[in-house]
Amino acid sequence: MRTRAAVSAALASAGILIAGWQSGIHVADTGSAVASAATDTTGTTGSTGSGGTSGSTGSSSSSGTSGSSGSSSSSSAGGATGASAKAAATYDGAVVQTRFGSVQVQITVQAGKITDVTALQLTDAERKSVQISNRAAPLLRDEVLSAQSADVQTISGATVTSDAYLNSLQAALDAANL
Amino acid sequence: MQPTSELGGSILKARTFGSMGTVVSLTIPAGAVPETAASADGGLDDAAAAVERVFARLDEIFSLYRPDSEASRLARGELSLREASAGMRDRYADALSWRLTTEGAFSPERPDGVLDLSGIIKGYAIAQSGEALRSRGITDWCLNAGGDVLVMGSPVPGCAASWTAGVVDPQDRSALLSAFALCGPGNREAGTRRALATSGSAERGDHIWTAGTGGAELIQVSVAAADIVTADVLATAIVAGGAAMMDRATDHWDIDVLAVRRDGQLLATPAFRA
Amino acid sequence: MNAQLLSTRPEVRRGSRGAANPFEGQHRRRLLRADLLTVLFWASLAGAVALWLADGGAAGFSTLAGAFTALGIVAGLAGMDLVLLMLLLAARIPLIDRTVGHDRALEFHRKLGKPALYLLLAHGILIAIGYGMAEGLDPVSESVALWVLVPDMWLAYISMLLFIAVVVASLVAVRRRFPYEFWYAVHLLTYAAVLTALPHQFSVGGLFAEGTWQRWYWLALCIATGAALLYYRVVQPLAATFRHQLTVKRVVQVSPGVVSIEMSGLRLDLLAGSGGRFFIWRFLAPGLWWQPHPFSLSAEPLQFDAAGQGVLRITVRNLGRGSAQLASLKPGTKVAVEGPYGLFSTAARSRKHVVMVGAGIGITPIRALLESTPFQPGNATVILRGHSESELYLGAEILELCRQRGATLFHLTGSRPADVRTWLPENSARAGHRLASFDPKIAEADVYVCGPAAWAQNVLEDARDAGVREEQLHYERFDW
Repeated sequence: MRTRAAVSAALASAGILIAGWQSGIHVADTGSAVASAATDTTGTTGSTGSGGTSGSTGSSSSSGTSGSSGSSSSSSAGGATGASAKAAATYDGAVVQTRFGSVQVQITVQAGKITDVTALQLTDAERKSVQISNRAAPLLRDEVLSAQSADVQTISGATVTSDAYLNSLQAALDAANL
Repeated sequence: MQPTSELGGSILKARTFGSMGTVVSLTIPAGAVPETAASADGGLDDAAAAVERVFARLDEIFSLYRPDSEASRLARGELSLREASAGMRDRYADALSWRLTTEGAFSPERPDGVLDLSGIIKGYAIAQSGEALRSRGITDWCLNAGGDVLVMGSPVPGCAASWTAGVVDPQDRSALLSAFALCGPGNREAGTRRALATSGSAERGDHIWTAGTGGAELIQVSVAAADIVTADVLATAIVAGGAAMMDRATDHWDIDVLAVRRDGQLLATPAFRA
Repeated sequence: MNAQLLSTRPEVRRGSRGAANPFEGQHRRRLLRADLLTVLFWASLAGAVALWLADGGAAGFSTLAGAFTALGIVAGLAGMDLVLLMLLLAARIPLIDRTVGHDRALEFHRKLGKPALYLLLAHGILIAIGYGMAEGLDPVSESVALWVLVPDMWLAYISMLLFIAVVVASLVAVRRRFPYEFWYAVHLLTYAAVLTALPHQFSVGGLFAEGTWQRWYWLALCIATGAALLYYRVVQPLAATFRHQLTVKRVVQVSPGVVSIEMSGLRLDLLAGSGGRFFIWRFLAPGLWWQPHPFSLSAEPLQFDAAGQGVLRITVRNLGRGSAQLASLKPGTKVAVEGPYGLFSTAARSRKHVVMVGAGIGITPIRALLESTPFQPGNATVILRGHSESELYLGAEILELCRQRGATLFHLTGSRPADVRTWLPENSARAGHRLASFDPKIAEADVYVCGPAAWAQNVLEDARDAGVREEQLHYERFDW
């Protein structure tokens, strides 16, 4: 009877492990390939990871997050290859578990290359999702809030010396108000 | 002199003085200052004098350009940090805490090891001045010290209009890149943008030392925040730390950023969008 | 004890075919359960690792730091799973008790202690190395960073210390030096260790983050373990105590140094057939209430009426600090009882022939078993061992029972030989007697052995030499 137990236990354990393995690969093939592909590009995932830190920063740096449980960093970028023919398209990845919680990544793919990676979902210290939409993005000059000197009451610029002040816009304003 | 700055019928008055190597401008709408018997602008002069005193006192302690300041004595080794004044130690502690939260992008220590708190003192002076103004009952003002702006209230007292600050174009200092409304309509709460600080790598930026590749990635960074010290420190940190620091800053602090890359490309958070 | 008892005999199980082995079905089912438990044990460990695999954890092995972290996580999962299994083994779950016996369950529990601790230590160290490598910190700094910066980690460190304390205190070398109560108190810290280990498992690392199915599985596992512990170790004993309302009736001197304690109670019909199984008794008298005593009944419960009112009896020896006070128990003392536990009973039977061997106070459960276990006349042999006749406790009752039921009885008295290791008295050993001499059919019998540990080992060895298989040997280890 001992052999029966040993064999059954071995088979059951092997079966469970294989099922887990398969499930894990499947997870990697869908959204998480996004996160993995991102790791291969620039250090942008780094900022994704560090962005996921809870309020007390300090000990987290980029690469730490992808190394730990959950976020797959090595699986093939199979998800990305399917998009080769399309023009710039964005894909939302699956929510990936990292050391600090869940991260959802959005990638922009153009001509088969990932051109942009954005973190959509980060978690704060309470593990709640926080929408990150307040990152600085590239803008054209005519897309920013326009300003004429006549409309502003004060000028912000890099610190000028007292000499440079004399020729500055701020000096003109102050002169008008003195 | 004819007041050319008018907004909704309100007249703005300004006073300026030099301090900390730069020029400080105080702009207050007429009627926001309680009048004194001495003169119609007496209240404004008093207020400006109070602000100047705040700056002067701090400059006396922290300026590395004055050989007899406490900071200079610390730099020369005549004084140890343990013997320094409580104010010096408090500001140092603040600066260290900022260094931690910006993961080193902002640092009070110069590469040669000298303690230089100028990156944090100007903001601190502006904040203290704001308190001084508020304590005098002046609740509508705009204080600009060398390009770092803190406001309170509105340029039209009692109105919902907000102060508007223009951001200078680093490549043409006679033109503006953008404008930003400070102190959103009708409220004086925290969380609104009351402060706008700009840091640049090209100008006098003794307190910005960029590590790594030669030349800064971002030549000018403007940060709008609820308080001036945060705006000032983060603007400095982002210039030093580049785009990575900018992303970290926008993730962790409630701020808006307008940055200019070396190639002239603008990067901005949604609040700067037209 | 009067031999004319109203005790009920346990029914012979279904599946009996007359002269054929009536216990075959029971035995097969028990072995099947045992194998099932074995499979469940390993499957649970595999499952813990599979949770991590299903989360895509294997991808962590792409970098060196990730590999360390991944190994650390796996070690933590396996270690915590082992801890939960250890708790389940000690929870006195009836399924486990009637499959392998409580003593075997505890033995296995003890064996798992060191591996569990090693896995937990590996977990801590490997994670500190892995995370540290990823962040450019040495393991010590990383550990400090984890303590300071990550919520719930300080609890995890405390938990680690508690686990180490518990395992160290349970090492045989340490246990010997300190009184039982000290060891027990430290062992109770296990609950604190498990509780402080739980928060970080659910809040740090993404594996058990909110929304994952792994979280539900792990929660369910922890809650089920806690519920089992609470129910079987606290609720059921309390219920049994209140149900049976046991009170000491009288204390009778059986032999020098040995007393029988008779207790009256209710619903004793529920305890019929417990012959050979043990209970944990707490006599609610000042100074005695906090001492748990594991004793077997020395006779089937005696019932007076259909309502189950009756008398229970245990026979104990006045040795050891605990037992000595039992002789002075006053009638009317209430008794709290936990049990019955143990597989030293008919539930373990696998053959129709039975051999019972007892020595010293170990004779008492044999006496109870003899009364209740089913066998045909001629199919049972009883062997009693002692230094002298007076040490064969309850000998007269056993003699009467054997006569009544048709069992063969042997008294083996005398001291053992000085030079040879044997369970027999000197003259028997010299005569070349062996266990098989007393019962030639022993190879096809259930053999129940109860007595001092060293002596019992000799009996078991003799039995194995005679061809008795492990599944036929039943030995209750009293030294736990």
